[in-house]
Amino acid sequence: MILISALSLLFLSNGLGESLPRFEQPILITSAGQSADVQIGGVLVKRAGLMATLSKHATYQELGDKKTLVLVIGVSMKGLGAAGLDLDQEKARVKGLIEEAQKKGIPILCLHLGGEARRGELSDLMIRAFLPYADMVIVVKSGNMDGLFTKICAENNIPVLEAEKTIEVQKPLKDIFAQD
Amino acid sequence: MQIKRKFFIFPLLFLLISCQPPPLTVQTPPADRHRPHDYIGKKGMVVAAHPHAVAAGLNMLKKGGNAVDAAVATAFALNVAEPFASGIGGGGFMVIYLAKEKKTTVINFREKAPGEATASMYWDKGKIQENWRKSHGLAVGVPGSLAGCVYALDKYGTMKLENVLESAIRLAEQGIPVSETFSQINKDEYEKILQNAGESSDYLHDGFPYEPGDIYRNPHLAKTFKRLISQGWRDFYEGEIAGEIIKAVQRNGGIMRHEDLAQYSPVEQPPLKGTYKDYTLYTIQPPGSGGLHIIQLLNIISHWPVREWGFNSIEYVHHLSEAFRFVFADKVRYLGDPDFTSVPVEHLLSKDYARQIAAKIAPDSLQNSYPFGVFDQHTIEKENTTHLGVMDNQGNIVSLTQSINDFFGSGIVPEDDGFLLNNEMADFSPQPDSVNSPGSKKRPVSSMGPLILFKGEKPYLVLGSPGGTRIFTSLTQIILNIVEFGMSLDEAIEAPRFFSYSSRGRAQNLYVESRVPLHIRRSLEKIGHSLEVRGAYDKYFGGAQGILIDQDRNLVIGGADSRRDGSGAGY
Repeated sequence: MILISALSLLFLSNGLGESLPRFEQPILITSAGQSADVQIGGVLVKRAGLMATLSKHATYQELGDKKTLVLVIGVSMKGLGAAGLDLDQEKARVKGLIEEAQKKGIPILCLHLGGEARRGELSDLMIRAFLPYADMVIVVKSGNMDGLFTKICAENNIPVLEAEKTIEVQKPLKDIFAQD
Repeated sequence: MQIKRKFFIFPLLFLLISCQPPPLTVQTPPADRHRPHDYIGKKGMVVAAHPHAVAAGLNMLKKGGNAVDAAVATAFALNVAEPFASGIGGGGFMVIYLAKEKKTTVINFREKAPGEATASMYWDKGKIQENWRKSHGLAVGVPGSLAGCVYALDKYGTMKLENVLESAIRLAEQGIPVSETFSQINKDEYEKILQNAGESSDYLHDGFPYEPGDIYRNPHLAKTFKRLISQGWRDFYEGEIAGEIIKAVQRNGGIMRHEDLAQYSPVEQPPLKGTYKDYTLYTIQPPGSGGLHIIQLLNIISHWPVREWGFNSIEYVHHLSEAFRFVFADKVRYLGDPDFTSVPVEHLLSKDYARQIAAKIAPDSLQNSYPFGVFDQHTIEKENTTHLGVMDNQGNIVSLTQSINDFFGSGIVPEDDGFLLNNEMADFSPQPDSVNSPGSKKRPVSSMGPLILFKGEKPYLVLGSPGGTRIFTSLTQIILNIVEFGMSLDEAIEAPRFFSYSSRGRAQNLYVESRVPLHIRRSLEKIGHSLEVRGAYDKYFGGAQGILIDQDRNLVIGGADSRRDGSGAGY
């Protein structure tokens, strides 16, 4: 049901009809903002049965032989502090990963899993900076109440999927990855 | 005939209604949760960080329990409704006022270090192992909450443990709707919960953080509470539950032993006393430092014309921030467990010492040299903890602050017991030479400061807050908001706050809520403060709860902080 409603949003946002982008494994999953949401992403990917390496502070070298880069967007000052990073350093790290992914032709999947609580000035800054580079976006609905994700994705022709709750991200995740 | 009867009944009903006592004043808070809202009662009041916990306390009062019964019932209900902030796996302090005897007393149920704790226990390979202090078996102190509550109940309450646990058990079984606050904290601490409690934890919903509106239940905690009734509360310290605690702590690398739990006991102490103008303040003794620092701050502030300066004026924020920095230097320099070290309480609370500090503070620059003593880097505790207050119809009062330290504590849960173990050992300094270093059976310094402020001979304000090291700076501001700036209780609680501290003798950032006007912030920067602007209502600055006893109007007023899920109910 959720997928159906999410898909209708997808059609509206990118006009791609029924085609969903396909991603391949193995995956590198990392944070963009050092919130604990990256761990949620890790559990979702694990439960979807996907082959992934979770590295909160991944650098571009870790992309290695990976075939998809998953960015879990959401800023946590506490998380940044624990990692010994400031926002500029975090942005530079993520930028480095994106540049390397583009160079290698590795597609980028962006997840926003923290809902409304994971919005705000700093998280929005990350969203605006990095979402345009995504090949696809999955967002938990309460994080997109103002339509920011829909708007950026429409402007950049990126398919966006909305899930009612975090746990419901698992199924579309499984669907968009080619199973070996 | 029937008509006649109706005519007869209406005046009778009117007479009956007009003779009734005022209706129960459980008021609906405003739609905008941040709009100041005073809860009003005639006889008594319960305030706490969750409406369901408030209801548990109010039920106890309505059943004839006194303030201690209601406070303990509220504390247990908070273990269910706000499991991330406190619970039987933690500790705390309560200040009790007994109206009949006009006596104020303190129960210290702060956690203790295990017997095998040592000053250098957090060092390995030449480095402090931060993880050991936060989310590891070594982070867990011997819990005191249950023993403290039972002590208070036995000595000053009227109800039995089974009575005061009733609401908490029902809540744990039936569940509560998850708030934004709960969900956000659950998400923030997800990694720790996952690491120590696992995907099947009671604190996750199918392995993921709870979303607002989900129903959170904790049948394991209900079972534990029932076991405390059927087997006796000592089971927690000597029985099956004790065994599970030790197993969980040791499995996660800790050193707690059965005898540590068996030997734990709370301590009843006289309160610490201070004065500010016409007011007398009673609060907790060290190792609780919050109360002491509030008295210290009020002593310093008494030398300044704060009312003239005005609320959150440039002069006010600057002078108070400087005072905070001096007090933080003292905290690091002197505060430890008084059972193991000599804390110069008399000196710290002397009016003369306060005068000296006040005289050092310049009106237009930062001192930037605060006599911190040793080398210690100040640890800034996170938001954590919870506070509740109760007043009953006899005028008895409880002001209780309890904690498991960081939100979701250590993240360690004894198997199938449904409660979190604290990480209160992180409140020790990891530096072996610190006055607050860990050691066998020591209690770590806490910033808690539950208090009762008296106006003349009569209780006037019951107050406390969570918020780590912001506890005493926030409580000082709330007291001044009321006694100097004439705010109502909840206006005083909701008003924008600020905080600063010193570390190694140097001024640290001045943290302000974004509601502090821009021109004030700019002027403070010109004086030399480095500002960090936080959220408009940021739980970083605590989540205070208060009761104000308005003797003139014969009203009991409750105030509860919207920075968390604060609530109140009067009757």
